[in-house]
Amino acid sequence: MSDALVEAIADMRDEEAISLAQRLLDGGTPPLDVLEDCRAAMTIVGRRFEDREYFIPELILAGETLRSISEIVKPRLTGSGRGAKSGRIVLGTVQGDIHDIGKDIVSFMLDVNGFEVFDLGVDVPPESFVESVRETRSGIVALSGFLTLSFDSMRETVDALEKAGLRAGVKVMIGGGTVDDNVREYARADAYGATATDAVNLARRWTAEAAGKAPAQPATARTKETAK
Amino acid sequence: MSSDITAMPAPAADAGKSPERLLAERTRRLEDAYALRRPDRIPIFMGASYFLAQWGGITHQRLLEDHDMRQRLLERAALHFQPDSIFGVFNDPGAALALGDRMTKWPGHGLPATGSFQFAEHEFMTADDYDAFLRDPSDWAVRSYLPRAFEKLEGLALLPPLAMAAFGTYNLLNLGVLASPPVATALQAIVAAGEEQAAADARMAESMRRLAELGFAPPPLAGALIEAPFDFMSDTLRGMRGIMLDIMRRPEQLLAAEQRVLDYQIEHAVAFAGATGLRRAFIPLHRGSDGFMSLAHFERFYWPQLKEMLLRLVAADITPVVFYEGVWNERLGYLAELPRGKTIGYFQGGDIVKIKQVLGGTMCIMGGMRNSLLQTGTVEAVRETTRKVCEVAGDGGGFVMTTGIGEMEGCRTELVEAWVRATHEFGGG
Repeated sequence: MSDALVEAIADMRDEEAISLAQRLLDGGTPPLDVLEDCRAAMTIVGRRFEDREYFIPELILAGETLRSISEIVKPRLTGSGRGAKSGRIVLGTVQGDIHDIGKDIVSFMLDVNGFEVFDLGVDVPPESFVESVRETRSGIVALSGFLTLSFDSMRETVDALEKAGLRAGVKVMIGGGTVDDNVREYARADAYGATATDAVNLARRWTAEAAGKAPAQPATARTKETAK
Repeated sequence: MSSDITAMPAPAADAGKSPERLLAERTRRLEDAYALRRPDRIPIFMGASYFLAQWGGITHQRLLEDHDMRQRLLERAALHFQPDSIFGVFNDPGAALALGDRMTKWPGHGLPATGSFQFAEHEFMTADDYDAFLRDPSDWAVRSYLPRAFEKLEGLALLPPLAMAAFGTYNLLNLGVLASPPVATALQAIVAAGEEQAAADARMAESMRRLAELGFAPPPLAGALIEAPFDFMSDTLRGMRGIMLDIMRRPEQLLAAEQRVLDYQIEHAVAFAGATGLRRAFIPLHRGSDGFMSLAHFERFYWPQLKEMLLRLVAADITPVVFYEGVWNERLGYLAELPRGKTIGYFQGGDIVKIKQVLGGTMCIMGGMRNSLLQTGTVEAVRETTRKVCEVAGDGGGFVMTTGIGEMEGCRTELVEAWVRATHEFGGG
């Protein structure tokens, strides 16, 4: 573990981080160790984002730094470097809407918090969500939308999951600029989250519940869930 | 719209009044609110847009392209719902389609006929372009930016440096390139786009004249469209990813570019107001709301430039109508620095109680009704929310009721009726 690398990434010193990673690899540090440092750094970045110390500029710069380091590491990698993930989540911006900022932040935050995220992109039709849930056997679906037309698309996506007989096996969360608890009710989703942190908390709780454990931590006050 | 729809009952105070009298009263009601005075009752503005299509049972594409149908629907909606002011369609796709605009998608053009207009951000300006941009923004815009952003304008990349025009008769030696197919195509597309936009402008003016004739006040948003300097650099140039990296990697260049776009947007807004007599500027904000950047970054890259823009407009006797997209709960204190009664704040969301508390003495507040409630709620819930909003935001005047998002797509007719009626009822009318 290189504390210097972790700190350089987490403290937004991107150029220093990249050259440091290069030096470590050249000096014989195993590539998986460098990736592990990146993961540790991204966890710190994610925490600072949750603490509202970091915002989108920092997330994007950290993502860029990570991408650059991954490019140096990749050619040296043999076998898989991915650790065990704690739960699978299908995520996308619903049909008719191409906004991706919120979705990308949620994707990032879920990823750094140990979830395996299947990001279907934007303008995703209901049947693609259905297909992906079936293929990946994910227990959580996260629907994003910014335009008001997305309310109907969210509802149609939930309907499609139901028709496919998958609804009982998944929890559905929704979010996005104009989405609120009215929409959660309208779309018959399980929960609405206002922030990426809400999404992480919901995912943690649902994953723990599915595993038969007590929730790791309660949902935040801004997260509302259907009474079951 | 089905033929069984009849006009809602007019507010008792409006019964039997002529359109001229209604126009005068409604205009006064809005002007009172803008100026932080207390109107006779809370004015209500409907930014109908695609709602007209669903109400009239036509596609979004037809709403944009069948201009007579659109005007008929707009007039019937005005008479049916009886807001103080109503707005139809923000812009027609004509000019964008004529130029092969790569940053917009329109119903029937890149989207289904029932789809909704979308702005698709691109990184048309790369980080390496800052030097050229700062050296000569006009030349960079015409010869580098337009060919990237508009399919039909690719030929403009072949032009000689624009400043060569100052070489007078000697520069005529350089003009042969104008006849080359790519440049000729571009120039023809520009003329076609100009004609499309001129026709759209004329329709807009005629539409506003017709509505005035029917007794409805002009919409608050009519004026020059400009953007906060940061958003200008973000939306159509660097894109969200690019601009956020610029904050981290090239802050000085970003700040210098913001100053340039601030200056020429002011110049444009002043000229526009002089030419049209419309003394407002509409400024939709995109990246300054809570959540995009830290307050430290906001204080360096967003607010000082926006504040300077607003103050310079006010000094030029132009009223900025600022759309605060997203939630601004954490940043309301900055807005309180603005001069009293000189700007209008249109709030998409956030806590209306807090907004009124912090800004009620500073600016007229527009907003109050969440679109999601008019789309998914009940008549009772709409009435109750409207009552509360009228009570809190309407207190002492300086408030215009409208939906958080002007675009009312998906709102249900009976809920819109309940909302307008409740505003008349609880707004002191």
